Formats: sequence, structure tokens, C-alpha cells
Amino acid sequence: MLTPLLAHQWDLQKAAHLLNRAGFGGTPDEIKAFCELGFEHAVQLVLDGPDDSTQFPKPVWAQPQNLLQLHNQMMTLTPDEKKEMQQEIQKQYRQDDLDLINWWLSRMRYSPNPFREKMTLFWHGHFATSVAKVRDSYLMWLQNEMLREHAYGNFGLMVKAISRDPAMLIWLDTRESKKDHPNENFAREVMELFTLGIGNYTENDVQQGAKAFTGYRIDPRDETFRYAPFQHDESVKQFLGRTGPFTGDDVIDIILDQPACARFITRKLWTFYAYEDPDPQLVEALASNFRGSSYEIRPLMNTLFRSAEFYSPDAVRSQIKSPVQWVIQTSKVLETPLPRPQVTVNALRQLGQVPFAPPNVKGWDGGRAWITTSTLLYRYNMANFAIGNGTLHIEPVKKVANPNAMAGPVSYDARNFNAPDLAKVIPAAVRTDPHRLVDYLCFRLYQDPLTPKDKETFVQYLAAKGPNPDDNTLRELLHLMMSTPQYQLT
Amino acid sequence: MSDSDHIIEPHTSTLHTRRQFLRTSMLGAAVSFTLPVFLQKTFFTLDAMAADSAIQTVNGKDGPILVVLQLAGGNDGMNTVVPYGDDIYYRSRPVIGIPKNTVIPLNDYAGLNPQLAGLKGLYDEGHLSVLQGVGYPNPNRSHFRSTEIWQTASDADKVEQYGWLGRYFDSCCKGADPTVGVAIGNQVPQSFSAADPTGVSFARPEQYRWVNGDKSGGSENVYRHMNEPEMDPATLDENDGGSVDSLAGASAPSHRESTLEFLQRTALDAQLSSDKVLEIAKKYPASVSYPRTALGDSLSLVGRMIAGGLATRVYYVSQGGYDTHVNQAGTHTRLMTELNDGLVAFSKDLKAQGNFGRVTLMTFSEFGRRVAQNASNGTDHGAAAPMFVMGGGIKPGLFGAYPSLNTLNAGDLAYNLDFRSVYATLLDKWLRAPSKEVLGRQFPLLGIV
Repeated sequence: MLTPLLAHQWDLQKAAHLLNRAGFGGTPDEIKAFCELGFEHAVQLVLDGPDDSTQFPKPVWAQPQNLLQLHNQMMTLTPDEKKEMQQEIQKQYRQDDLDLINWWLSRMRYSPNPFREKMTLFWHGHFATSVAKVRDSYLMWLQNEMLREHAYGNFGLMVKAISRDPAMLIWLDTRESKKDHPNENFAREVMELFTLGIGNYTENDVQQGAKAFTGYRIDPRDETFRYAPFQHDESVKQFLGRTGPFTGDDVIDIILDQPACARFITRKLWTFYAYEDPDPQLVEALASNFRGSSYEIRPLMNTLFRSAEFYSPDAVRSQIKSPVQWVIQTSKVLETPLPRPQVTVNALRQLGQVPFAPPNVKGWDGGRAWITTSTLLYRYNMANFAIGNGTLHIEPVKKVANPNAMAGPVSYDARNFNAPDLAKVIPAAVRTDPHRLVDYLCFRLYQDPLTPKDKETFVQYLAAKGPNPDDNTLRELLHLMMSTPQYQLT
Repeated sequence: MSDSDHIIEPHTSTLHTRRQFLRTSMLGAAVSFTLPVFLQKTFFTLDAMAADSAIQTVNGKDGPILVVLQLAGGNDGMNTVVPYGDDIYYRSRPVIGIPKNTVIPLNDYAGLNPQLAGLKGLYDEGHLSVLQGVGYPNPNRSHFRSTEIWQTASDADKVEQYGWLGRYFDSCCKGADPTVGVAIGNQVPQSFSAADPTGVSFARPEQYRWVNGDKSGGSENVYRHMNEPEMDPATLDENDGGSVDSLAGASAPSHRESTLEFLQRTALDAQLSSDKVLEIAKKYPASVSYPRTALGDSLSLVGRMIAGGLATRVYYVSQGGYDTHVNQAGTHTRLMTELNDGLVAFSKDLKAQGNFGRVTLMTFSEFGRRVAQNASNGTDHGAAAPMFVMGGGIKPGLFGAYPSLNTLNAGDLAYNLDFRSVYATLLDKWLRAPSKEVLGRQFPLLGIV
């Protein structure tokens, strides 16, 4: 069972932890203000964030296309014209894709409701769909909005929505699934990865379930979901021990009836927000409530954020920042705008997490898999870029969008023109004493003190530079403190 | 080859105490008594392995090396190894078919693309094998999915979590230096993905390093201090003289490594490998001239790392641009030229170094292309295609039968060699790793090594 955290146990470190995990962190002032709200109000503020949709209007290009018309138009062209048009479409698609990533990253960075964005990021990794196969930025945006809408709504509704989501229909081939030739891809993954986990269904369930999802199509005129009754298999299916002429929605309802489903989802949510390998009893407690509430996500998150376990030493600073978390949180703690889209997307590719392009349907492995020697060094050098010290080596957009593309134009070194304002990030008052300065930056960067020995290393570094450190020294100190294992933790 | 060749376990009888280990260790000489605990354990394991000469230790600088070369985008196999003896080929490809009189014959049916004269030279001198009709059951024609199948060695209908080389690192290279796998480029390839990830990637050695802006010095020391595990001098004394048995399972830490410890360990790996790579890059300029292409640059870098003795078992290199849907003739000719010139330079380099015998290079592409040219004088995604295996230690020749152009599988060439047989052979016979364990089942081995 979960133990609620008591109001008097709430402190600065727990406030920082909640801000980091529920969203993307904050500045020292933001953490202090958040802490002063008190536990009760702080959790409420997280869960009752405002609607930010007017602040983040949809990108201008995010409009459905009439694919039928486009197709007919192309049929009239000469091969050369067709080639030219295809190249034009490809170019546009790469541009839109870059814009889409940037649109979402900006929303994570600036939304007054970062919790919704963080949950959307969780569901994106859960229902992992990649533009590499979908190749339609509009549909990727549409799916993102759908996940945002349901982000802490009802899980059952979200699974039904994902089963009809056009990007998903392409990604897992449902749109090609015919009555006479059902495609099993979605039926398998919906159980294996989206709801139950392996071992909780049989191959026969996959085959029978696949029949239920036949007849799901995309209307080429406006890229919407269309049900094609003549392609739907109306026969009686045997699915997870039940028998009937099930539709896709019926199949999802049967899945939601399985206790394994709530366990699978709560375990994954706990891992994402709190820590890996939670105790089975803890999962069971959360899962039975989740099922009992008909899969309402908000109350589940409420319980999670109020539990003492969420603030335990197992949880606090036990996670490795995902690349997206690293980029957004760095921009927040240094109080700088996000780097240019090309730079950010390049960096995210190097670091192993490009939004809208998960490596496969399993999503990102996360945790320790984020870290290799190369990605760690890249994080350190990205920190150097972020503080305005060094350049960052980036590849042309074409190669970023499609790593299989030919070498093409040469890569180049990008400079950061948005270095942090040191007067703001390191107030004059803390600069007079090396101990105070290091303590202050520990809180800003790690929200946690260092071991005395490690702290001493930085204090000595400052001492060697003499009193009143200049801007170069302060910048290098920031870089050094970010070139550490500690900065990768959250 | 017997099963016992596959055992890569520390032989507890060879060494008795940690003190003795430190005295005799090939690696121990390089480290002081403040060696972090995990490294002591790692080195101990490796050293014990090295003591058994029958076993290929993963850190040995003289061990076999595999270079994997990905031809990304789906190489047109039929214009690479050309079935010039078949009229169907010329009927199917009236514009882009390679003229019979320019093909370099391997036999009276198949021959090499005219740009591959250098490869023919290697073939004739016994350093190249050509594998025909390589693929897998139920081929997938998506770049994305088919690449994943090749990278993870999975069945077409299964998603495998880890890469085939990652599983090799997991099962045979525990505790090895992270440079055991080196990918030239900016990403670690999916084939390196592993339960316990290792391997490094860099495009330019000079960028594989920690860059700092402190001109006046001092930063480097702070960086180094912060990026190594906490050292406890007491630990060594505590364990000194302890029995080997308690250390035999050293590659499995006695407590679960914390996230911070994991990061510190990786950070130290990054430091050490970066130092090494930079040092080698400085000391070993390319000894032969390579073509000025992306592939030439990559292979040249691999050559330098091999010359410098980086303890690497697998190098990974990629050549892109093979997705030739439109007017492919010019593009494909250029790609073949780059491939030929790159491989010829690489083999010359290795021969000059005296390392040709320890290096095997394997090419692969996610799929071949359709038999018939398309309406744009290009080719669309197909299935089975040839692979090349090159090196001083291989058995040369033409392997597998050319797939029939008559009896197609869903309009494409049917495979007759499973690519996992090639992997299995290279694992078992070249890297001396248990292919059955790595690939999940035993695939028939080929006579290429």
C-alpha cells in the first residue's frame, strides 16, 4: 500500500522533485515559490494546470490534405514533373517535421501546464509511432493532440482513440487489414505493448483480435478515420476466453477487463515518474484503484504524487534525464530560450531521442540505455554549447530527417547566440564566497547538494582563480558542473 | 568447433590472489593501487581469461576484428552481382541493365559490376567471397523494418529488443573496454543495442572528447575528478589476498550498481576511450591514400584505429545513398566506384600494417531491389541480394546459388541463404563466440571462414 506524504514533510527538495518529475523542472525562484504553496496546493497546481491551447495554436501547415486529389493530379504529370513534385513534397515534409518537433519542444518549455506535456511525452513513448514510416507531419501532429487530450483523462478512451488514429493505422498497418487477410500487427502490439504485456494473451488471441480490427481505413479525401463495413470481419471471434462477433472496441473492452492491464499501465507509469522495479504490492495497490476508477488517469497521478514512496530515496534523483528532459530542463535552469530547431533536433538525434521518431513500436528503452560513452560526452559538450562557450557540430537537416540519405552538404559548427545571462543565473550576492557560489549552483543545477569532497573540488577550482570570478570563469564553472554524472540525474 | 571453445569464464585455477593478479596483469601495469573497485574486478576477469590461451579474450589487441559495412537504402544486388547470363535480366532492365561485355565474370552466369574491378582482384587473390541470394523468410520491404530485422537478426514477424552485435557484447564481452564496439558516425547503430550497452561512436576523433573553454587551465583536472568513480583506498587492502572464488563472479557486481555509480563508470569509460582514440588518431595518420569520399574517410579512420591497436572487436561503417528509385544508373555507378575504391584502399592499408589476416569485413543492405526496372529507370524495394565478405583470413569463393529470375517470390528474388547463417558463421568461426546463444538458435554455418 502507498503511504500518503504528510504536509509537514514537504520541503524544498521534495518540491523540486515534484517539479522535475511532473514537468521539466524550474529555476530556484520557481522551486521556492512552489514549495511555499504547501504540499496540498502544490499538487493541485500540478494537476489543475490551465488549458494552454490558445498559447500554442496549431502549426499553419497542420491541415489535412486531399490525397485523392493529389494522386489524380500526379497521374497527369510527366515522369520528370512527377519526380520534381515528389521532391517538393519530400522537402516540405522534412521542413514540417522539423517544425513539428520544435512546436512540441516549445510547448514543453513554455507551457503553463508542463504536467500535460510530460504526460503526453509518456504516452508518445507508450503508443510509440514514428514519422519514419507514417511520413505525414499532419498525422503525427494530430496524434500528438489526441494524446494530449487524453493525457490524464480516461485510458480506455485513449486506447480506443489510438485504434482509430490515422498515424497509428499507418504505423501498425491496420489500414491494410482486410477481412480475407487480417493484418495482425496492431492486434499484437495493442496487447503486448499498449495494454497487457507479453504472457497475458495467446497467439490465438492475436489472430482473433486481428479480425476485429479489420475495416479500419483512412479517408483519402481528408485523412480522417473511416470505417469500411465491407472490409470488416463480422464473424464470431474467440478472444481472451470470450466468444462473440466482436468489434475492435469490444476487443478493447475485453482487454480492459483483464487485471493485467491496470498492472501493466501503473507499473509503467510508476517507472516513468518515480523509479524502476517498484514493489509488486505497490503496483497492485495502484492497479486495483486504477481499475476501480474505470481507468481514470488523473486520480492515479494524484495518488502517485501524494505518496511518500514518490518522495523516497529510491525516487529522488534516481533517474537519468531523458534527452528531451535534458534539453528542456537545461533551457529552464539556465533561463535561456531553446536553441535553433536544427541544433536541438541534431542534438536530440545524437542523444538518442527525437520526438515523433522513436526507434520502434516499443518506444525508447529509457533509463540507463540513454547513456553511452558517446552520448555522455555529447551531453557534456552540449552543455558547453548551452552556456555559450563552444560550438556544436551539426549535420544538415536532410541527414537528420533521413539518416540513410546520401552525405549531401557538409556538416557545420553552430554557435549559440542565446547564452545565459550570468547576472540573472548567478546573482552578484552569491559570488563573493566560493562555498556559497557552489551551493547556489548545486541547487540551480542539481536541486541537491554535492558530497563534501565533490563540493570541495569546485570550491578549490574557484579559489585558484582568485576573488571576484569573471564571466569566463563562471561560464566554465557552469560547464564543469554540467559535465558531471550528477547533472544527468533528476 | 567444440562447445568448450565458447566458454569465456574466468579460470579460477590460473590465479590465486588479487595481489598476484595485480603483479601479473597485462593491464595491471597501467593502473595504480587506487584502481576503482569495478575496474579491479573487470581487469581481474579479463586477466584470468587471458591466462587461458585457448580463449579469445575480448581485450586482446591481436584478436580477430569484424568490420560491418552497411549499404544503406537497399543496394541493387542485381546490378552489383549481375546475372549477365540470363536473358530475363536484360528483358527486365532494358535501360539500366549492365551491358554483357562490361560485366566482370565470376562464372558464366554471374559477374561483378564493371566498377568492382578491385574487388575482382581481391576475389582472385583469395580474399573475397561473394554470397548470392542472401535474405530471410517473409521479407519486409520497408527500409525501416527490414533494416531493423538485419540489425537485430530477428524473424520477420518478431521484434527483437537488442541488436545482434549488442547481444554478442552482452554474452562475450562483459567488462570489456567500451571500445570493443566502434561505430564510425554519429550514432550507435541499432545492432549495438544491448541489455548492458557498450560500444562508442564517433565521426571525427577530434570531436570525441570533452571540450572546455577554460584557457587558463584547471578545468581538465576538475572534469577528470568528477568523472571517475569514488575511490576508496581501503577497498583494495580489504580484498587483497582474498580468495579468487569470491571474485570469480566479478562481472556481476555484488550489489546493484546505483544509477550514479553507473554514470561514473560510463564517464570514466568515456574519458579513457576518448584519450585513446585521440592518441591513436594523432600517432597514426593514414598509411595509404583513401578515396576522398564519406566511405573512404570512415574506412581510413577504422584503418588508423586498427593500426593503433584499439581493443576493438567490431567496427561499424555505413555508406548511404542506395535507395535508387529514379534514374539509378549514374548514382549506382558512383556508389559502386566508391565501394570498390574504399575497400581496395582499406585492404591495402591493412596489408601494409600486417593486419589483413585479423580483419574480416562484411557488407549488408536491408534488401535488394525488384527484378524489373520501374517507370523512372530506377528500381523499387525488393528482397534477396548478395553480400561480400572480405579479409585475409577468409575462405574465398562464390557461395549460394544465384536466385532464379524465373521463379520469383511475390515478384522478387527468393533468398536461398539466410543472412543469419552469415552472422552465425562470423560469430562462431571468426569471433569465436557462441552464435546459438547470441542469435537465439543455431543457424547452419557456411564455409566462408
